[in-house]
Amino acid sequence: MTPPRPEPADDAHGAHDAPVSVELTGITKEFPGTLANDRVDLTVRRGEIHALMGENGAGKSTLMSILYGMLRPDAGTVRVDGREVAFASPGDAMAAGLGMVHQSFKLFDSLTVAENVVYRAEPRRYGLVDRAAARRRVTELAAAHGLSVDPDARVGDLPVGVRQRVEILKLLHRGARTLILDEPTAVLTPAEADALFGVLRSLTDEGRTVILVTHKLREVLEGSDNVTVLRDGRVVARLRTADTTADEIASAMTGRAVELDRVHAPGSPGDEVLTVSGLATDGVRDAGLTVRAGEIVGIAGVAGNGQSELVEALAGLRAVTAGRVTLSGHDITHASAARRRLAGLAYVPEDRHAVGTAPAASVADNLAMGHHRTALSRKGVLAPKAVREHARALIGRFGVKASSPQVAASALSGGNLQKLLIGRELAHEAPLLLVEQPTRGVDIGAVQHIHDQLIAYRDAGHAVLLVSAELSEIRGLADRVLVMYEGRIVASYPKNEADERTLGLAMAGAAPDPAPSARKGA
Amino acid sequence: MAASPVSPVRVLRSPVFFSVAAAVVIGALFLIGTGADPVAAYRAVITGSLGSAGIGSTLTTGTSVLGMALALAIPLRAGLINLGGDGQLVLGGISAAAVGLYSPLPAPLTTVLAVLAAMAAGALYAALAALCDIRFGVPLLVSSLLLSYPASSLASYLVRYPLKEPGSSLPQTRRLPDGVELPAFGTSTVTVGLVLVALAAVAYHVVDSRTAVGYEMRMTGLNPRFSAYAGVARGPQTLRLMAVSGALAGLVGAVGVLSFPYRFLDGSLTAPGYTWTGLTAALLAAAAPLGTVLASFFFAVLQVGGLSMERTTEVPRELTQVLQAIVIVFLAARLRITWRPKKRRDAAEQLTTEKAEAA
Repeated sequence: MTPPRPEPADDAHGAHDAPVSVELTGITKEFPGTLANDRVDLTVRRGEIHALMGENGAGKSTLMSILYGMLRPDAGTVRVDGREVAFASPGDAMAAGLGMVHQSFKLFDSLTVAENVVYRAEPRRYGLVDRAAARRRVTELAAAHGLSVDPDARVGDLPVGVRQRVEILKLLHRGARTLILDEPTAVLTPAEADALFGVLRSLTDEGRTVILVTHKLREVLEGSDNVTVLRDGRVVARLRTADTTADEIASAMTGRAVELDRVHAPGSPGDEVLTVSGLATDGVRDAGLTVRAGEIVGIAGVAGNGQSELVEALAGLRAVTAGRVTLSGHDITHASAARRRLAGLAYVPEDRHAVGTAPAASVADNLAMGHHRTALSRKGVLAPKAVREHARALIGRFGVKASSPQVAASALSGGNLQKLLIGRELAHEAPLLLVEQPTRGVDIGAVQHIHDQLIAYRDAGHAVLLVSAELSEIRGLADRVLVMYEGRIVASYPKNEADERTLGLAMAGAAPDPAPSARKGA
Repeated sequence: MAASPVSPVRVLRSPVFFSVAAAVVIGALFLIGTGADPVAAYRAVITGSLGSAGIGSTLTTGTSVLGMALALAIPLRAGLINLGGDGQLVLGGISAAAVGLYSPLPAPLTTVLAVLAAMAAGALYAALAALCDIRFGVPLLVSSLLLSYPASSLASYLVRYPLKEPGSSLPQTRRLPDGVELPAFGTSTVTVGLVLVALAAVAYHVVDSRTAVGYEMRMTGLNPRFSAYAGVARGPQTLRLMAVSGALAGLVGAVGVLSFPYRFLDGSLTAPGYTWTGLTAALLAAAAPLGTVLASFFFAVLQVGGLSMERTTEVPRELTQVLQAIVIVFLAARLRITWRPKKRRDAAEQLTTEKAEAA
């Protein structure tokens, strides 16, 4: 079976003489008070994988929104396949052969793969949707591009990696010649990410073009042909991947030299603070672990393998069906979230907008949460002044950039909101800190700051349980690494044995020894 | 912090001001279209409600509207909607009447007891709706609304049979004994009820802006998952807020019985639609304490002024209901605009993040 080739590429890897697929010239976009894109030029040639990099706020999303017809530029031109275009909507962009896979997938969980792929571009017969043709079409596309999926599977039942394939199939079904992928590997294991790049490479080999919006240096170095780096709305570097290094890209992104992937010195663990044995809840089975004072225990795993559920159960937001949890000697297995906090628990949840903060509330109110019944109030009276002063103190201490404590938290950038959240929870000085994805969507500068805070917290003798999808983060911070797979803790490694390959295998369910040592939570 | 400093510019740009102004303008167009003089009609509304002849009536109506508005605003502040205001109001009224008629205590004590009984009845009934939500998973919106009907029916039954005034053809209780009434100011119809409701408004403002309970209430309203994450127990909070809400509705019922006509007359408490006007006022103010007071006063003015406008001009008082409806439509449209389709919103959110970050 030969894959349908739109047009053979002149050169597989986007050589300089390949025809230009997407050309943005002098793109400028100003929002009140901010120049999000400042005369940005971007040239993407047919058949290449072009990485667009930059910290949060560098202007990547604005640029891609302009390319994809979601925003209009104030100045500048967009050319697609040599023709100047002015898209009024993503629909226009799709019609011109562009397609985008958003970071949060846009799929119907209750529909099948085939139904999702053909949605709004259904093959028809007698005016009705031709389901058989839809299934055939999906099977053909899948086979042609090495994206194996079952066309009849319900999307809601599929793992994240497969859903991503469905998104890509959707674009291919519509005949997209240029694919834009926004942070595509955020939810994948290293192995799945490698497979994705294999697929992308085969797409470019047949003449399609891929624009990859990402902040992960490793995959850019391994998988892309060219890199454009944005900073503060301007292009600061155009690099050929073959001729560059991680350090060069990172310093272009931040404007200074950055120390990547620091591995912090191990802590000196003391008494057990958190002890979990045989814990079961929705999506978690027989989980056992301990976290000691002065220790960071990391939980690695692909998103959706029970890490969130485990942490929620520990935080008292999810009922425990079996097992036992003790915190500093108190049994908190069935305690309410409030009682757990009293017993000495602080928690930085994964979703900072939906759970960790109230974006519509002021920065001061957001920083008061949890302190409002303890340090800040007397006999139930919560003085606005105390709340403001508390906010000022934390803003200063944790370097949150907020014009005033009274502004809405929604006005803060992702990194600043995360600093606010982490600062608020650290300020509890609780013996145990649960922290999920502490640096997701946070720029490199803020990442270091947050990591330093967590290490300092550990060194002050607190216990930290860290869940992260970033292996480098886990390896850098954790004194011990546990791996979760399908709701179980399948492996446990001391810091020095937790290399990327070992963890990657365990995350894919191929742990060498689903060891008794892991059960004990050694 | 709830009452953040209000600058004139912000008021002019606020959707509330816009909705009200738009309603006034559209109302004027209606009037011109039907050949009436909008200036005269609006003048009649203002003089009729705020002039010396109407102000008493406006304050009396305002008492009930504000009472119900507070009853609905307090749970709304935490994102809860109590649609059972009518039932709680009626139960409060019938309880006040029963206590007023049968209490052996001296009149002043009986009056106090009647008010307390009305508040207790409303509170318990609203708490029942809350329990349905917490224990059995019946959404509060549904449980409170549906429980409202049997409450009204119970009161109807009581006032037609056990508590019926002998010999009367109306479904009403006997007149309350002399002295069992809320003291009025001078010869006006304005009673101590206004003071009680105003105190409730002040208490709400203080709790809302200066206590831990009020803080938790506001945070739950802004993001319930956030407050649950931080340990605010949702069930007890719902129960308490609904009890307070029901108590206020019961209080309004007591005020309606312990002032003119000094008895419980079936339907007389719900006919003026205080519950819905109150809900409208609470929504208009997004449940903020000060705003709820202002909005309640605004609607009381419309309601009373509309009657007087009908008397003095050819314009029917339904105009004021049209105005009220237009305000709501515009506010609802604002909400609709906020709930944009997800894709656009995601893009917009990314942009705001980028903007803020770049700034």
